[in-house]
Amino acid sequence: MTTTQTTDTKIRLDAVRLEYVKEEGRSRHLAVESISLDIRDKEFLVVVGPSGCGKSTLISAIAGFLKPTGGHITMDGREITRPGADRGVVFQEYALLPWKRVIDNVALGLKFKGVPKAERYATARRFLAITNLADAEQKFPHELSGGMKQRAAVARTLANAPEVMLMDEPFAAVDAQTRMTLQEELVRVWEQARLTVLFVTHSVEEAVFLGDRVVVLTPGPGRIKSIVDVSIPRARRNWQEMNQDPEFIRLRDEVLVQVRGQPVAA
Amino acid sequence: MTRLAPRLHDLALGTLPFVLILVAWFLLPHLLDYPSYMLPSLGTVIDRAIGSIEDGSLLENTLASLQRLAIGFIIGNGVAIPLGIAIALNRHVADTLRPVLTFLQSIAGIAWVPLAIIWFGIGQGAVVFVIANTIFFAGIYNTVVGVESIPNTLYRAVRSHGGKGIQIFTELILPGALVQIILGLRTSMAYGWRALVAGEMIAGTNGLGYMSIEAVQWYQTETVILGMILIGILWLILDRLLFVPLEQRTIVRWGLIQR
Repeated sequence: MTTTQTTDTKIRLDAVRLEYVKEEGRSRHLAVESISLDIRDKEFLVVVGPSGCGKSTLISAIAGFLKPTGGHITMDGREITRPGADRGVVFQEYALLPWKRVIDNVALGLKFKGVPKAERYATARRFLAITNLADAEQKFPHELSGGMKQRAAVARTLANAPEVMLMDEPFAAVDAQTRMTLQEELVRVWEQARLTVLFVTHSVEEAVFLGDRVVVLTPGPGRIKSIVDVSIPRARRNWQEMNQDPEFIRLRDEVLVQVRGQPVAA
Repeated sequence: MTRLAPRLHDLALGTLPFVLILVAWFLLPHLLDYPSYMLPSLGTVIDRAIGSIEDGSLLENTLASLQRLAIGFIIGNGVAIPLGIAIALNRHVADTLRPVLTFLQSIAGIAWVPLAIIWFGIGQGAVVFVIANTIFFAGIYNTVVGVESIPNTLYRAVRSHGGKGIQIFTELILPGALVQIILGLRTSMAYGWRALVAGEMIAGTNGLGYMSIEAVQWYQTETVILGMILIGILWLILDRLLFVPLEQRTIVRWGLIQR
């Protein structure tokens, strides 16, 4: 059992403790107390929890932006020490470069790798088509709506062919209608790209809609409260069906109870 | 309505104060009694302008001033921008330089004229030194602020997509600081232009500032006024020709400032 899991594991968190020094004061903030978790290869894992549970800090640590103050984070058995193109991050605030056209933003990682212009534009166009942005390739980010910006950010990460895509509350800043569309699109895009995704959100509905597994964190400092398997087939993952799917409703309510911290009925 | 109409409207509004000044200037001698050397008529100034264009002195002085400004601008910003970036990126550089820069900032520009004259003598060297000095201090903090204002998320985005070392510099830091750097170029040239006029008046041997102060000896008030008008017009042209298009092509296009 243990050996099969090891070969399957993409990223392993082993008793990870995350503290950071708050900018205003000298005080240290404990964001994550101790988390051990295996992120499986090519799974869509969602971490859900209330604000302040350290879920964004967790993404930062896996991305290599900050070092754990305890425990180990490994990818394919190697310790993560710095950011790298193998772990592409999609940020809540999009983080597109304002001075680059959409196509150049999407081709950014390929430029860093030294891919020739024609080739990286061809790749970028393929991912712009997948994310429904073909018409926007010559625009600058400020000319895009919030939803389009986030599509561009997803296209940028996927075009760079990372092994893992880390998504830090990517849809939190867009309006509710757009969010639902983006969620459906992500399901579809992920089926084409098939890479390991770690998706962080505070929305229980979003977590159950997107995830293969949903990890519920306790309010800060974060620890794992429970892990819920979501086995709803990908084909059914659109809001039209999911809204009436008894399995979705049952899992959503189950996760919601976990997140809100009420005792689970025996 | 043609698309040109709003622009013509703006142009007309912008020209209005100038027209009013000219009308007042034209009417003043008819309303008040004062000796003409105190404020010569518009006609006299125009005659002076034509005269100095014909004898070539106006073009010579203008070119001398512009050339000095260009040299001072290149030297001043050529030092300020790299140093500003170094201060913003490296704490040790910042800790070392900030106190001395703050100290020197208060005596930037014209206060250096006496020492500049002793070091370089009256003429080109002294004036260029003062302009470059002024431009350096007017520009450097814009570069520092520009680099410091780049959001942390953009660094993270670049690094998590494989950006390293020099790539971070060319793809993120330089363009990211450009809004402030362009602002610094513009401000520093405006300050440099003023320092140039003052510097030429005290330590110059030609140029528009020198032309104006020289004319005082002969009570050629029309030359003084001509100098002042030219200084203003040349700045308007420089600003429109250099910085407005530069901003349009970069920071306005990128949506970093609204126009």
